[in-house]
Amino acid sequence: MADKKMKKAPLGSLQPDPDIFDWNDLPADDVFEKASGQEKESFIQDRKSVSYWADAWRRLRHNVVAMVAAVVLILIMLFAFVGPMLVPYGYAQTIRGAENLHPWHTSLQDQLRVEEEIQRRKDVLQAAEEEALTAAALPSWEEFKDQYVAEQLAAEAAKQGGKLTRQRENILKAQMANEAGKAYAALKEQAAADKDAVTISTDEETVKKELGIGNRPFGYSRAELERKAAGEKVFPHVFGTDYLGRDRMVRVMIGARVSLIVGVCSALLVLIIGAVYGAISGYAGGVVDTVMQRIVELIYSIPEVLVILLISATLKPFLDDYQNAGKLFSGLVTMLGPNLISMFIAFALLYWVTMSRIVRGQILQLKNQEYVTAARALGAGGGRVIKRHLLPNCIGQIVTTTFLQIPSAIFLESFLSFLGVGVSAPLTSLGSMCSEALAGMYTYPYRLLFPAVILSVMILSLNLFGDGLRDALDPRLKK
Amino acid sequence: MPKYIAKRVFMALLTVLVVACITFFLMHAIPGNPWLSEKTPAPSVIEALNKKYGLDQPLPVQLVKYLGNMLRGDFGASIKMSKNRAVASIIAEKFPVSAKIGAISILWSVIVAVPLGCLSAYKRSTWVDSTLRVVCTIGISMPGFVVATILLLTLAGEGRPFPTMWNVNDVTWRSYVLPCLALGFYPMCYLARQTRTAMLDAINQEYIKTARSKGLKTGKIIFKHALRNALIPVITYLGPQIAFTLCGGFVVEKVFSIPGLGRYFVDSIQARDYPVIMGTTIFLATFIVVMNLIVDLLYKVVDPRINLEKGGN
Repeated sequence: MADKKMKKAPLGSLQPDPDIFDWNDLPADDVFEKASGQEKESFIQDRKSVSYWADAWRRLRHNVVAMVAAVVLILIMLFAFVGPMLVPYGYAQTIRGAENLHPWHTSLQDQLRVEEEIQRRKDVLQAAEEEALTAAALPSWEEFKDQYVAEQLAAEAAKQGGKLTRQRENILKAQMANEAGKAYAALKEQAAADKDAVTISTDEETVKKELGIGNRPFGYSRAELERKAAGEKVFPHVFGTDYLGRDRMVRVMIGARVSLIVGVCSALLVLIIGAVYGAISGYAGGVVDTVMQRIVELIYSIPEVLVILLISATLKPFLDDYQNAGKLFSGLVTMLGPNLISMFIAFALLYWVTMSRIVRGQILQLKNQEYVTAARALGAGGGRVIKRHLLPNCIGQIVTTTFLQIPSAIFLESFLSFLGVGVSAPLTSLGSMCSEALAGMYTYPYRLLFPAVILSVMILSLNLFGDGLRDALDPRLKK
Repeated sequence: MPKYIAKRVFMALLTVLVVACITFFLMHAIPGNPWLSEKTPAPSVIEALNKKYGLDQPLPVQLVKYLGNMLRGDFGASIKMSKNRAVASIIAEKFPVSAKIGAISILWSVIVAVPLGCLSAYKRSTWVDSTLRVVCTIGISMPGFVVATILLLTLAGEGRPFPTMWNVNDVTWRSYVLPCLALGFYPMCYLARQTRTAMLDAINQEYIKTARSKGLKTGKIIFKHALRNALIPVITYLGPQIAFTLCGGFVVEKVFSIPGLGRYFVDSIQARDYPVIMGTTIFLATFIVVMNLIVDLLYKVVDPRINLEKGGN
């Protein structure tokens, strides 16, 4: 060994460091001890590798709020997608004789009791009325007039001190007739008021209250109650029915389904367009990036809601035409409805901007990293680098942004439907149901309540779960 | 700075132009023409009408003409909603109502949201913070019409302090309360969340520690040191918020039957009154773009460190 030792090279010399030669002298075999099988196993167990998704899932699982939101979401999805299969009514099916049902009912016996009671009360009232008429002995008009005029004339004659001339009498009589009419009307009113004072209410609700009959949950029409009494199984109208006799619960389910589908489809559209645009813009850089970013800025400053309203207003006639032309996809157009399609188009045109900005920012950060250089050195083209290396590395941000797009799309859809430019009839959405319920808001607040609550809870849990997802996928962002 | 302003103004003009062009071509792409009604006039009459209104000229010429008229404040006349009335005069009548409600809503939402956000950040992880966060998250999850109808059901009507409907003949401060509450609720919640996040960021900075070690009072630290830095994201949001408030106004105006521009716009879309749709869209778009521009330029005032020349955001 000693002979290999050289003089240490001066600082800055290109000569190799003499110590380097020592490295070739491998240590003797017995210096290290081989690990036993058990040790190897425990070593592996100590450092069990955790994948990105498993790690994120672990973090997400410990987030109570996000998990509760997820459970609520799953329930809403079951409600929206499985629910309509379980309920034997269609969302556009009108059930005759079951219009405007409340979400509560009174049993058949009680209904009969109420009817009997009302009938009884009506009879009583009528009897009372007749009685009152005879008792008050309201004189007939002719009688009353004659009597009134005679009285007045006598009074007048007395005042004049003796007899009236024939002419004077006639003039007075004509005047009296008018006054007599007024007096008679007052008398009649008095009699009516007397009668009202003894009135018993024949209003159904009041009678029910006075009889002490309570409401039972769920709505049934009379015919359905009779069928039920006959031993048939009848599915209740849990939320009641609307003015056409359509089951409200099924409509809420379908509305929630439409909202969810719109949300997910828009999010996917936004994801695809935004990610591709942002990735190309970020990766290409230079002039391409500048031009693409100017376009993004332009779209960013266009007020979206205005354009969406505009697009849905102008596209409708086209889509209606297309639908009737019976070309390819016209079935799809019919199924979705022209308004929904224009909404998607608007989303595709305008809403990918945020996503593209986020993806571009990430790509700009990542594209100078060594593994990208390595991939390019190995001959990978731009498309492959973006697809295989860059996008997977910003997946956390992409997933989060996509997910949070869902509630905002639902928000917008309900907004448009509420204004009457969203989903078109007979299909329904939560927004249009709220809009319909607005008219009878004070009398039937529950009509507004059901869709509004489902909508709000849905958006809330999507937001909460999205926040949780962001914290789990991108812990650096956690605040 | 002048270069930046010039660039931004140019972008704003371009945006308005693009919106105007989109609107124009969308309107012209619609099948049918304005003369289609129950009794279609004779072809010669239609020709004469087309000539009179310049509809026989090629599209680009029409576009240039329309833009020229627009610059002079002439948006054409309504064909259905209020027959033959100039769109400009309709806007002049309806917009102040919407603008007033929108301005009050933005004002109260900012005034309430910023202190709430600060409080929430300052009392981080206490019940105050949790409550505020829950309320704000619920707030941003409720569509405007839900908030508006809840307010109507609980606070309006007989025996309650506020009117249910906008009565044109009897507009008092009470008429404004509910619409403004409903319209400002979402921005308030959103802004409070935003402020909280920005405040948390600011509070953890070194200069806050310095301020504290200098012996400054908490109030002064929060409002003078932290808040000024936390306000940037809040101002960023103000621009889009103005747009949102104007468009969110559509719903509130519908629920409260307010005769504002938003409701008129939506009605005109349903009635397919194209000149009105066009005029209103361009007007609102211009308004929103100008507001965004002003907000953008405000950055510089609030935070002199921001270098606008290198990409405004």
